[in-house]
Amino acid sequence: MAIKQPSAPAEPGDAIAPPPAAPQVEADSSPVPGVLRNVVLGAFLLYCLLPATWIIAAMTKDNGQIFSTFGLWFATPIHFFENLSGLFTYQNGIFLRWFGNSLVYAGSITLGSTLICAMGGYAFSKYDFPYKQLLFNFILGTIMVPSTALVLPLFLLLNKVGLVNTMWGVILPSLVNPFGLYLMKTFWDSGFPSELIEASRLEGASEWQIFWRIGMPLMQTGLVTVALLCFVGAWNNFFLPLIVLSQDSLYPLTLGLNVWNSVSSAAGGRPVYNLIALGSLISVLPLLVAFVVLGKYWRGGLTAGATKG
Amino acid sequence: MRQYRKTALLFLAPFLTVFVAFYLTPVFYAIYLSLFIRKRVGIGPAKEIFGGLANYIRAIQDGDFLNGLKNMFVFGVVQVPVMLGLAIILALLLAESRGIFMKICRTAFFMPYGIPSAIGALIWGYLYSPNLSPFNQVLGALHGGAIDFLSPGVVLYSIANIVTWTWTGYNMITLFAALQNIPTELYEAAKVDGASPWDIVRSIKIPLLMPTLKLLFIFSVIGTSQLFTEAFVLRPLGYVADNITPNLYLYLTAARDANYSYAGALAILLALLIFVISGPFLRRISSK
Repeated sequence: MAIKQPSAPAEPGDAIAPPPAAPQVEADSSPVPGVLRNVVLGAFLLYCLLPATWIIAAMTKDNGQIFSTFGLWFATPIHFFENLSGLFTYQNGIFLRWFGNSLVYAGSITLGSTLICAMGGYAFSKYDFPYKQLLFNFILGTIMVPSTALVLPLFLLLNKVGLVNTMWGVILPSLVNPFGLYLMKTFWDSGFPSELIEASRLEGASEWQIFWRIGMPLMQTGLVTVALLCFVGAWNNFFLPLIVLSQDSLYPLTLGLNVWNSVSSAAGGRPVYNLIALGSLISVLPLLVAFVVLGKYWRGGLTAGATKG
Repeated sequence: MRQYRKTALLFLAPFLTVFVAFYLTPVFYAIYLSLFIRKRVGIGPAKEIFGGLANYIRAIQDGDFLNGLKNMFVFGVVQVPVMLGLAIILALLLAESRGIFMKICRTAFFMPYGIPSAIGALIWGYLYSPNLSPFNQVLGALHGGAIDFLSPGVVLYSIANIVTWTWTGYNMITLFAALQNIPTELYEAAKVDGASPWDIVRSIKIPLLMPTLKLLFIFSVIGTSQLFTEAFVLRPLGYVADNITPNLYLYLTAARDANYSYAGALAILLALLIFVISGPFLRRISSK
């Protein structure tokens, strides 16, 4: 009997994307008139975009204009290109360093954590072992532990093993991702039938080959979803680097820009709000690109956990 | 399946290793630390001595810690319902929209979730800051008044606004997806039975959204208990009390006052509190 190969790789997003907009409700069956609906949605749209408006205006101003002109509109003369070169040269171009650090942190955490969760989720989905359910529930329960409860003692422990103020001190603790493990288990449950494993075993494939060569290619949707959630979490991380790092050349963007803010706001500090505004915008660009390009994975992954209930 | 036990363990090993090293060990270490108190014995520097539950007894009488908990409670009963209420209204409205406007809204509502909270709070901080705030520029032009969004009585609500801005879209998208999963036949059947559009919202949509809503509620409560970044980021820009959230208070206890044993006790108490509040909810949901 030949190993049953999937006829075609599943279309990304297939398994979890909401069904294509079924016109389930005609306009006349809505309890709210269309005009009112659009007004409410439009008002919330403006609210969501308000901070973006301030940032886009501020990145074209110099510091004086930021204080003296209306915050939600542009002012002349435009200082955008000055700010751009200022951003990459201020303090010997440390912004670029922070950007690179963020990429290193987020990249390594995403790769490592996704692989660890894929393997762990596979173990919970496809094998039986003593106390399996108990262990799984226990791991899930730890999602509720507030991060501060962990990070402070973690700092002391890292200090003992010499990982404080190193990149590893940020990366290694971030590899733990109980929610990612839970998501991967549900993806393995629904996306990789056990009969396929049995058949592969009869063909003489090793357990690792079954996981890596046959299982993983079928898990595209799940892997991208978990990787995206890891990336967002790692890119946005603030608390852990704040505690672990003291040397500014190791900072990620979130921490670095906040240091600039503290200095700008302190008495006697040179304000660089224009650079912070432009830097903030640049710091969210990778996420916005990932969101627009991979939108359906985001929506699917976020809702996979919550709509199963 | 006994033969595969060892294989299962190998697959699980990387997760368990980091989980034990960077998750369980710190928790137990925090418990251990929390049992010590710092005491000055005779002349010389203070020493860490075993104090039993002394830190815990101190914590439950600590006005600063209790103030943080009180604020957390206010958040739980004001901000969370407002945010989830907004999310449900927007999800219901969005589900009835079509075309490009719907797609723009869907993306824009969700966007704040993708923005690092440290950056989002920073920008809101500028919108609040007395020197920079465009709101006050408008108010000033209208009738010369101004609101200090970062003053002691107001700052908690300013933080609530940042949290609402960040998370409403996330909650809305989740509810929106749950709405799409409701079979359309239910609406058809209800309409045949003479149900009005309001009846359908009240008797079909809302009840079917309840499991999702409960889960979002739990996640929001857990998030509330972890409030830190927003308060921390706003500190240089205005007056943010040290005890505004339990997390900020315990961070300062450790990072500024270097009192790790007391911070450990605060952390453990906070975690227990979250367990007590959200445990029953979570059990009910997972048993379904």
